[in-house]
Amino acid sequence: MKARVIAAVLFAAVLAAAASTASGSVRSAKADSITVWLMGDAQSGWPTVVADATAAFKAKHPGVDVKVQYQTWGDHLTKFDATIAGGDTPDVIEFGNSETTKYMANGALRQLTASNFPNSKTWLAGLRSSCTYNGRTFCVPYYAGARAIVYRKDQYKAAGIRGTPRSVAQFLSDGKKLMKKYGKKDRNYSAWYFPGKNWYASMAFVYDYNGQIAVRKNGKWVGTLESKNAIKGLTVAKNVVGALSRASKTTDEAHPQQAIVFSKGHVGAFIGNGWEWPYALNKDLGNPALAPVMGAYPMPSHVRGRLMPEFLGGSDLAIPAQSKNVTLAADWIKAFTSTSAETGIAKVGNIPNTTILANVNKDNPQIAPFARAAAASWFVPTAPNWVNVENGDVLQNMLVQIYSGKKSVLAAAKSADKQINKILNG
Amino acid sequence: MAVAETELPLASRRRPRLSRHRVVGAAAPYALLVPTAAVIVAVLGYPLYLLIRLSFQKYGLFELVRHKGKSIGFGNYTTIFHDAQFWHVVARTVVFTAVNVGLTMILGTGIALLIARLGRFMRTLLTVGLVLVWATPVVVAVNIWRWMVDYEFGVANWTLTKLHVGDFQHHDWFVSNWSGLGVITAVIVWGAIPFVTITLYAGLAQVPQELVEAAQIDGARAWNVFREVTLPLLKPLLIILTSLSIIWDFQVFNQVWIMLGERPSQDYYLMSIYAFVQSFRINEYGLGSAIAVVMVALMMVATVVYVRQMVKTGEVR
Amino acid sequence: MSTVTPAAPVPVAPTTTRSSPFRRRRIMHRVALNGVALLVFVVMVFPVYWMVATAFKPGSEILDYTPHWIPSHPTLRNFTNAMHRPYFWTDAKNSLIIVAFVVLLSGIVAFLAALALSRFRFRGRSAFIVLIIGVQMVPLAALIIPLYITASRAHLVNTLTGVIFMYMAFVLPFSVWTLRGFMLGVPRELEEAAMVDGATRFGAFIRVMFPLVAPGLVATSIFAFIQAWNEFIIAYVFLHDSSKQTLTVWLASFTTLHGTDWGPLMAGATLTALPVVVFFVLVQRKIAFGLTAGAVRG
Repeated sequence: MKARVIAAVLFAAVLAAAASTASGSVRSAKADSITVWLMGDAQSGWPTVVADATAAFKAKHPGVDVKVQYQTWGDHLTKFDATIAGGDTPDVIEFGNSETTKYMANGALRQLTASNFPNSKTWLAGLRSSCTYNGRTFCVPYYAGARAIVYRKDQYKAAGIRGTPRSVAQFLSDGKKLMKKYGKKDRNYSAWYFPGKNWYASMAFVYDYNGQIAVRKNGKWVGTLESKNAIKGLTVAKNVVGALSRASKTTDEAHPQQAIVFSKGHVGAFIGNGWEWPYALNKDLGNPALAPVMGAYPMPSHVRGRLMPEFLGGSDLAIPAQSKNVTLAADWIKAFTSTSAETGIAKVGNIPNTTILANVNKDNPQIAPFARAAAASWFVPTAPNWVNVENGDVLQNMLVQIYSGKKSVLAAAKSADKQINKILNG
Repeated sequence: MAVAETELPLASRRRPRLSRHRVVGAAAPYALLVPTAAVIVAVLGYPLYLLIRLSFQKYGLFELVRHKGKSIGFGNYTTIFHDAQFWHVVARTVVFTAVNVGLTMILGTGIALLIARLGRFMRTLLTVGLVLVWATPVVVAVNIWRWMVDYEFGVANWTLTKLHVGDFQHHDWFVSNWSGLGVITAVIVWGAIPFVTITLYAGLAQVPQELVEAAQIDGARAWNVFREVTLPLLKPLLIILTSLSIIWDFQVFNQVWIMLGERPSQDYYLMSIYAFVQSFRINEYGLGSAIAVVMVALMMVATVVYVRQMVKTGEVR
Repeated sequence: MSTVTPAAPVPVAPTTTRSSPFRRRRIMHRVALNGVALLVFVVMVFPVYWMVATAFKPGSEILDYTPHWIPSHPTLRNFTNAMHRPYFWTDAKNSLIIVAFVVLLSGIVAFLAALALSRFRFRGRSAFIVLIIGVQMVPLAALIIPLYITASRAHLVNTLTGVIFMYMAFVLPFSVWTLRGFMLGVPRELEEAAMVDGATRFGAFIRVMFPLVAPGLVATSIFAFIQAWNEFIIAYVFLHDSSKQTLTVWLASFTTLHGTDWGPLMAGATLTALPVVVFFVLVQRKIAFGLTAGAVRG
């Protein structure tokens, strides 16, 4: 197997070298089209960037058609697995950044030379690590999302909160002021709307106290949620969420979409991605009238003055190992992650894949806090089987047990660790 | 040897045609079956073979990429049978199926009996209503139900609170898997009733009216009339519907999957969900296949009555 | 099928007296029955009503702490939003094509097979019966990869044809079985009479059998329609080009990382359910009688 991978790598390298040194347009494959799988978010969020990238690609490769097919998050990996089995994978595929490790570890993706791609030296660290396995690169960072607190400036003011909290303790006491002012009369009110299965924001507390989900020790993965630091973080999360949130414990932040709940006026703040701010103002579902009273700030750490590391979500672009149009695929990716393309993606509220563009949204008060929050981030353990932990809902279930009080923090953490050990090493 | 049921009189002038008929008749049933058998075998034959073969292999993502599995004999089966979760899932699926089939049949029969006694206007109204339900696609229906029991904005919570049944504000229907599976049961039974009811209603309409009246004149009460006269005549139909319901409800997937946002927690796992998660989420296709084989075996056992009845009544008279 | 007519007049208990208590009891009985029927109707139809009502509500009314039973500001915006989503008309066309072929082809093929099962004794009959019953028991999720491998070798991935064949395989068992039931209910004498009149065996089948089992064909058509129309995972996995996908895949695209657009989704769902309901209501009277005629006999 290893020999085949090395051979494939050498072949790709030779091909890339030949392509870059040859003059004129090079057709490294006999194909007249390439297939690109992107998630539906691009179709609704930044379709012009996709169109521009395709146009740039076609300028370089006239006669090669680009078939962009949009997928749904729910079943796209099932479909991808089926194409692997059938031998007709796409040439470019978008993955969520926590989905890649499994495919990298099993040789499903083609190895790439990072330096061939735009801005590779300044890729966001959090995304780069989701594209690296055993020191080799297997995908290209696409875009990221960071979380920050979106809040009601008017409610904060009315409750006597000055400015924004600089520590978790202050966050809690500010929230309690809100609950006192609004939460007593309004049973739907939450100072911090926090659905129980929001594991990204919950685990942030663990990492804030220097805990981790799992570490690699002596060649094996060990769940560390029962360690002292992690327990501390989880306990603090439980206290804060318990005091400030009346949201469901068994659902996540998308069901119902928390920005819409926020827009109904019974919420003081929620923690969400950059696009959730304008979504709360959506003219169909949200409340445009809230525009003047909305603000955002990065979630503070328990250490005063620092930021709590938030999960750096995002997507990467990869080339399946079975693709027969590697050079063409790489060229399309280059066009789609070029500086101008990334600028376009950033302007609609995402975090671009490179730190060069970190200040693109500096003057946009709606996006700047999220870009700032991206500076402090954590990422999931880069274990090949990590995505199975996510798919098994291990962390979500642990949190439901903790927040609903069904199990003590320690018991829930221990049970989660047991499952993590089994899955990551299995 | 195939024998055509009707034998033409030997003495007819069609004797030459008769012998040609005999030859043609021999092959006729097979010829008629060929398209059906061809489609089923062509579409499902090789996949079923692959499925069974997969169940005896270690086949994860690594093997998938290389298109080659590792044979491990009964390894997957022993893994399953030694997994405590598997037995919980089986137990849960069996109970779940029993409850769903029971409720569907009881309610379906009850509503059918009700319809039979209604005047024309109400009967049409109710039948059209049932038709509307039957025609709503499952995916859509589940989304509607999901949204009716929504924690924040659901109609169910609001109504129950208003009716003073209790305080249901922010009631979470899915915290406890009993409650959650109860909601899912409601969705499934709701969707299954129309088919059962309309079928039984037609069956009831064929119960000879004079038998019913005779029993009534003899002073029998409604329940006895039902039990002595109607039920025996409906028995074949009830067996068919029950067995079909068992087969369908045992394989329930969509309702659980969509209701729980494609991320059901483990205490909601039914067998089909468990199989899917093993195959595609954990990427152990061998294990997933073995679970599917076990499911088929369980269903065969549960419906053996039906299958025997079907094979028996297949006797051409 | 026809209802049974009574053989001879049966003496019936007197019901036509104008005595008050008796008549009142009957009226109350009727009122109670109608009341229960109305309750059942409301409970069953409510979710469907909710779907359609939501489709007409503006976004702010859909997600609200106080439910709006009747849309106070009905709007068609959700419908236009849904219909303007990419590929709506294309996907509708594809769904209709697939369903038309599945219903038509499986109707014909099942009819032939049912003839064999109802009119002939032959070796392998039991095996065939067990095959078509057993096939319904295999969970679809476990078959996806094996099916994909098979379809890939046959070059039928990303084709409507491949999907049509797959749906047919899922629908045939039930169709064959139901039609067989009907055919068992048609007396053999009718075919024999036709053959005496000079028809070939096959001609007799068509001329005699076909009209008499029409209700059964209607029943299996509706079943096939609904199965093919609602199916999602096969359509999603096997159809790649956006120009080839179906309405169920289209409905799934209403959910993104941003959550679900409820208003347009309900509008899209209403639009998707419409053809089914129309087809159904047009032919509904024939089904039930069709389904049971065969079944009660057998």
